[in-house]
Amino acid sequence: MTAIDKGGEKLILALPSKGRLMEQTTTAFAAAGLPLAKTGAARGYQGEIAGWPEVEVNFISSSEIAQFVRVGKCHLGVTGEDLLRESIADCDQRVRFVAPLGFGFADVVVAVPDCWIDVRRMGDLEEAAVAYRRAHGQRMRVATKYMNLTRRYFAERGVSSYRIVESLGATEGAPAAGLAELIVDITTTGSTLKANALRVLDDGVILRSQANLVASLGAAWTPAREALVARLAQHFGKA
Amino acid sequence: MPPEIAQNFEALTAQTLRLMGVFARAGYELVAPAVIQPAGPFLDVVGEELRARTYIFTDPEGEELCLRPDLTVPTCRLHLARHGEGSVPARYCYNGPAFRYQPGGGDATHPREFRQAGIECFGAGEREAADAEVAGLIAEALREAGLGRAFLRIGDLDLFATLVATLPIPDRWRRRLHRKFWRPAAFRAELARLASPELLAAHGLPADLVAAVDPTAPQAAGAVVEAHMAAAGVEIIGTRGLAEIAERIVTAAADARERPLAPETVRLIEDYAAVRAPVREATARIRALLPGAAAPALEAALCAFDRRLDLIAARGVDLDGATFSAEFGRNLAYYTGFVFELVAPELDARSAVAGGGRYDSLLADVGAPAPIPAVGACIHTERLLKALAGAPGGRP
Repeated sequence: MTAIDKGGEKLILALPSKGRLMEQTTTAFAAAGLPLAKTGAARGYQGEIAGWPEVEVNFISSSEIAQFVRVGKCHLGVTGEDLLRESIADCDQRVRFVAPLGFGFADVVVAVPDCWIDVRRMGDLEEAAVAYRRAHGQRMRVATKYMNLTRRYFAERGVSSYRIVESLGATEGAPAAGLAELIVDITTTGSTLKANALRVLDDGVILRSQANLVASLGAAWTPAREALVARLAQHFGKA
Repeated sequence: MPPEIAQNFEALTAQTLRLMGVFARAGYELVAPAVIQPAGPFLDVVGEELRARTYIFTDPEGEELCLRPDLTVPTCRLHLARHGEGSVPARYCYNGPAFRYQPGGGDATHPREFRQAGIECFGAGEREAADAEVAGLIAEALREAGLGRAFLRIGDLDLFATLVATLPIPDRWRRRLHRKFWRPAAFRAELARLASPELLAAHGLPADLVAAVDPTAPQAAGAVVEAHMAAAGVEIIGTRGLAEIAERIVTAAADARERPLAPETVRLIEDYAAVRAPVREATARIRALLPGAAAPALEAALCAFDRRLDLIAARGVDLDGATFSAEFGRNLAYYTGFVFELVAPELDARSAVAGGGRYDSLLADVGAPAPIPAVGACIHTERLLKALAGAPGGRP
């Protein structure tokens, strides 16, 4: 484990470096009385929280934050629970959820074509998947970018006759395009699923996710840093 | 990452030569299936659970490939590439690395890279003889390598299938029980469902639709389902068609009207699943569960079980301490009948030094036009070396 310990007792906080997630993070921190500022060059990737000299903010791409948290390259990070649970197999052993931040809401769901009126629950899916393999000579394909969440959830529910096809964009179009039979994807309002004639299974919500402030258990911790996290957590209403 | 795949490689190589000598003398042809395999067809056969532990990558041409997680499927592919339909009987042996992801990098008995030395026997007509030949050769190879004692564990999926086939229940229920047999919790839940009229009726599907379908006239169901969808404004998309959807509606309608499993049937199935016995007592224990004489098919399967034991013993395998467990399964989903495992007393029970079994549908899954009887097994060579060194091992 490559826990960093540079900058003396500084606490490293990894935040999204661009896009809507960065804006929402900035807003949420400001609302909690923790105004963020970039330091150095105008487009720099370093920053601080005004009045918190012990905290060093690193702005990095949101997809990398989960990896930083996993290996302990930062003490704290802000990212979606979906990305954390997808990319860290033993998430609860490596990550402490400090505070939910109230944005970035997304449900990771199992969705099937609406015309599958015989498939309402995961148990139905298991039966349908077995029959599908018999009829088509190949396994049902699940399009998703959440390979690990899908495998874990399907295994828990006893669904085994399927195969994942990795999908990095426009996943909801895969069934109609004949690229997959069903999908596991994130949804916020469900309107995209509906527009693609898909429906979430009754027990098909794998995870209700939102952006979280999390601590990496693998980072280098000192009593001073732990005290800092406790103080930060209070700003987000967590004792 | 460990800097070397096997410590004590000289000893491992010498051991492998002894193992392969036993296989070669028995007439097994030494083959070298490819280490790199096409990911798609391979993973369609082994399933997503093993896929989660398979190293998959894309080559510069964009082709999705994998490092083989075992050597059985690659040997099946090799056989079909050589013989087309694969109906020519063949005996192969192999020795080489296989690769599986291990959380946290693995340990000495669960390494990411390990070498399997094994045999596959394709197309042999007399099943019990072929089963015994494979188990006997593996045991002989272990002895030849110097392993003094190994405990044999046996399971038999075919016994369960035959038992269920003799019960007065619908075919589709037999298939369902058969499929869920290896997952105890799901199996018990399914038994409970089949025994309860309320649960059988609680299908969770549109009630008016299920009521409108006549399970005795399944051909008519398609039109009923189609009309239901048209009325609801639902359009069919994707590769799963109306016939498949209608089939499950028919099944739900049939289940809702079926007579539930009798309590004595449920008890018989549960009692069978719980049988664990010394191998020589296994068939007597199973017979004792039956209300009367075994049905002819079951009697034949029980006799085949004992005949296989005799054939294994005739090959010099010590059956003292060998156990039968009805629930003993393998984590690879393709076994269909006899399964076995050899556990060395020096290692923990989860680190079997060898194992294998019968997989009569695998060659067809890989592409043979018809099912071909097949049985095979392999030795986990690093574990064997560790057992021979007498080192206590295994996971914390």
